[in-house]
Amino acid sequence: MKSIVLKFLALMVVSFSLHASDAHVAAVDEERAASSTHKEETYQPKSLSEMTAGFFASTGINAILNPDPNEVNAHGEAMSDFHKSWGRVVMILVTFLLFYLAIAKGYEPLLLLPIAFGGLLANIPVANIAGPHGFLGVIYNMGLANEMFPIIIFMGVGAMTDFGPLLSNPKTALLGGAAQFGIFGTLVGAVALSQYTDVFDFTLQQASAISIIGGADGPTSIFIATKLAPELLGAIAVASYSYMALVPIIQPPIMKALTTKAERQIKMSTLRHVSRLEKLVFPIMVLSLAILILPDSTPLIGAFMFGNFLKESGVVERLNDTLQNALINIVTIFLGLGVGSKLAADQFLVVDTLAILILGLIAFSVGTAAGVIMAKIMNLFPGTKVNPLIGSAGVSAVPMAARVSNKVGMEYDRSNMLLMHAMGPNVAGVIGSAVAAGVMISIFG
Amino acid sequence: MEMNSVFEGLKIMLLGMGTVFAFLIVMIVMMNIMSKIIHRFFPEPNDVENNVTPVQKNNAKKIAAITAAIIHHRSK
Repeated sequence: MKSIVLKFLALMVVSFSLHASDAHVAAVDEERAASSTHKEETYQPKSLSEMTAGFFASTGINAILNPDPNEVNAHGEAMSDFHKSWGRVVMILVTFLLFYLAIAKGYEPLLLLPIAFGGLLANIPVANIAGPHGFLGVIYNMGLANEMFPIIIFMGVGAMTDFGPLLSNPKTALLGGAAQFGIFGTLVGAVALSQYTDVFDFTLQQASAISIIGGADGPTSIFIATKLAPELLGAIAVASYSYMALVPIIQPPIMKALTTKAERQIKMSTLRHVSRLEKLVFPIMVLSLAILILPDSTPLIGAFMFGNFLKESGVVERLNDTLQNALINIVTIFLGLGVGSKLAADQFLVVDTLAILILGLIAFSVGTAAGVIMAKIMNLFPGTKVNPLIGSAGVSAVPMAARVSNKVGMEYDRSNMLLMHAMGPNVAGVIGSAVAAGVMISIFG
Repeated sequence: MEMNSVFEGLKIMLLGMGTVFAFLIVMIVMMNIMSKIIHRFFPEPNDVENNVTPVQKNNAKKIAAITAAIIHHRSK
């Protein structure tokens, strides 16, 4: 036993210093290629040293130190040496950082953890888990490449959503519309920067997919990214969910900068009672509008309203329960792993990723600001006053953004409860992002 | 191609924001109409029933029990 270990160590040293294993690597690769195509091969007896060398050639250590020149990425394209060797190590460390953020900081752990672990698995050399035949690749093709998972998530979100606050104060829906300016403003900015500077170079489709981060709606971002720019999916999803988690940090400074103390203390009248029939008719009504105005948005709005309609019908409690819990949890696991498969080094460790993170943050901030400013504009008109702090909840991020509105409001007046008032723009923001997504789909087909 | 894509972006922005607002404004108008109709023609019959019936039923039972007890007491 001791001698085998010694031999193994000696071989490792030899192969590091002389790259003597290259020949073996080539041989092993031929065998791998052969085995993957199921070619019949007789097993040749090998000496122990050959066997050990062959085994070493298939270790991760060797794959990182001597990357295989013929290795291709999940799309079958050649990769740079950095992306094959140390890039993977860097990405694995990045996923560790995401673990830390999810567990220690509590940033959207439900999605960040599966995404990060998917990223860890996708960066393993040799095993090719994110490739077309690896299980991550299979999951990706099963529900992300065909936009199935985001749609199912939308059904679950619909079943969790209560439109009561919006129905009792319909005009707050405008705040959810204004916040979508974060999407389109960033789109113009990204296109302009691509056009006039050499900082980055995004096509119109890519810029659209990136700016949808400003909608602060994870499933919508993933849906649009897979449709318009699948090569950017990993970065867009990570940016989208990270910023949603950072809502309590990003939004308050913007909200405070744009409002006066008097505005922050505006009291809003209590919400009127909404009858069950109103809640039941509402999802059908919105879907009918979508059918008439923008059929391209009906995949998202239809799934969303389906979930909500089941809930409000009150006669299919079992289905509602499954949508809200079991189904959305199962799909969240798969969605996270599938998105994580796009965190492979060759796709994530590019300059574009940094640009996406920056543009996403800008989109998010502009959306927040636009919602607050819209509330101030609404207050110029006669009628009941709106507290501008609920404007920031117009970015979707349900219910986090509404909680932030409530928290900031409480800072200035302990008795000012804005939570339910902010839920109105919040759910309208989900509808608004879905409409914005529908516009993009209708433009780019 | 120079000015083109920025112009495209601006056009998408106009169309996008226009559509989002048009959609939501129509939605708001419809919501107001809907709640007026519902409050006019279907004024919360289920809510009234749901909230009151159990109490009423209980009260009825209690009243029956008390009445029975009183009658029983008096008949002694």
